Amino acid sequence: MRRLYLSGTLVFWLLIAALWGAKFWLPEADAPAIAVHERPVLPAELSRHAVPDDCWMAIRGSVYDVSPYLPEHPSRPEFVLPWCGRDASEAYATKSKGRPHSAQADELLAKYRLGSLAAQ
Amino acid sequence: MRLIRRLSIPLLVLACTAVPVYWAFPDGLPAARSLAIVLGWAGCGLLLASLLLMLRETWLAHWLGGLERMYRWHHRVGMAAYLLLLAHPLALAADALMDSPRRAWQVLFPSTLLGPIWLGWLALLLLMLGLAATFSTRLAYRTWRWLHFLLGIGVLCSLLHVLLLGIDEPVLPLLVLCALLLGWRLIGEDSARFARPYVVAATLHASDDVLEITLAPLARPVAANAGQFVLVAFFSGAGFRACGEFHPFTVSAVDADGQLRISVKALGDCTRRMQALVSGVPARVHGPFGSFLANRPAARQLWLAGGIGITPFLALLRSARLVHPTTLLYLYRSEADAAFLSELQSVAAADRKLALYTLATGDEPPNLDLLLAEAGALAGAPECYLCGPPGMLAAAVKTLRRHGIRPRHIHFENFGFR
Repeated sequence: MRRLYLSGTLVFWLLIAALWGAKFWLPEADAPAIAVHERPVLPAELSRHAVPDDCWMAIRGSVYDVSPYLPEHPSRPEFVLPWCGRDASEAYATKSKGRPHSAQADELLAKYRLGSLAAQ
Repeated sequence: MRLIRRLSIPLLVLACTAVPVYWAFPDGLPAARSLAIVLGWAGCGLLLASLLLMLRETWLAHWLGGLERMYRWHHRVGMAAYLLLLAHPLALAADALMDSPRRAWQVLFPSTLLGPIWLGWLALLLLMLGLAATFSTRLAYRTWRWLHFLLGIGVLCSLLHVLLLGIDEPVLPLLVLCALLLGWRLIGEDSARFARPYVVAATLHASDDVLEITLAPLARPVAANAGQFVLVAFFSGAGFRACGEFHPFTVSAVDADGQLRISVKALGDCTRRMQALVSGVPARVHGPFGSFLANRPAARQLWLAGGIGITPFLALLRSARLVHPTTLLYLYRSEADAAFLSELQSVAAADRKLALYTLATGDEPPNLDLLLAEAGALAGAPECYLCGPPGMLAAAVKTLRRHGIRPRHIHFENFGFR
């Protein structure tokens, strides 16, 4: 049992270290091309829209103004509002039971799209 | 009934794991992400099972096949939970690795989802540290116990991690249940609230480092039988300064008025301090547990005792005359360590069914092959009952197996509850 603990823990940290190294050594996938008409939104601008009445969120590289939709969102406000003005990609991908939002939610989200999240 | 007890723990573990996995089973997600979700929920289920298996309740131990078996499974299930929970973030990262290595790293160490993710890391680190302490044999018991408690905090943190991700539907009751189980163990059992009050009525030195203690009940006594063990904690009083920890001791006699006798060998700090126990010291007794010598078949018996491992056999000899021919091999380091030797010799002289063989082994491991042959102990394929230090048990099991004794005829209990 002790050997299992030691080997499991060692393999875990080796894989974490390998992942840390991979982000430097492995090439990044090509970034999706931004449509010409899209407006780039800087993180600083995103963070200025962080209140329920003016709530922007960055999800998977796009920025959405979800303020009009917030009153209809099924989840409790305390789970959604902290993501206003921030990158909410992981939260969007891990709702109840750790599942991402549905395809219908993706379609709904598209209606609130403002543009792409630009690099700083 | 025996089959139910045999299957009870595997079924409990299966139920604790399968129910949350079934509830959360992903549908239409990439394989790595689905695996991560299943690993996370299975790990949480196993943690719950592990908590249930650490309770020291006589009724629960009865249904789950004994406290020693519960603890064996508690260790296995806890380790399995740890390994699954280690794999959980790795599978999440593997899913994101398809996009890019940078994205995979952000899943593990995000700059945004701070609370829930870091709580998940805290849970993993607490489990890691708690298990490291669990496997450390050099730590003093008291330090070990508090470090082991880190595992309990790790369990609560892992559920809080899921709760903060917004999954409150089944997690909130699960969190409450885990907190109740931890509280039950910590407040009810470890702090002696559920144990019966006793007082030390008499003490007698059975050898240089073994003290036999007679405990008189102050309320309804525990219903112990010969060969069972109880968890006993002594508290300060009558000039004695106690360590207040529960330790397992085999009952060496059950008297008619509900008094219990236990034998304490000075093996650690706390048991060394117990050698100075005097009449009037308050104690708490929890149990009884174990069925080591219960339901013995009508057959020849071989009892092999090492050191303080003589106590369950002594209890049996004190409780009634033998029914079946029995060979008792009693091994001890030196004559000064041979607790209860003269009493055993008196019993053997009076009971023709008991053949007593004793040996002072010194510091060398005994030659069990020679000893068993000299005693003729294996004639008639006896039922073998072993009690002693782990090294002696392992060697004895190996020797008996080599002599053709089947595992189902070899019985022993492991009293190591770390």
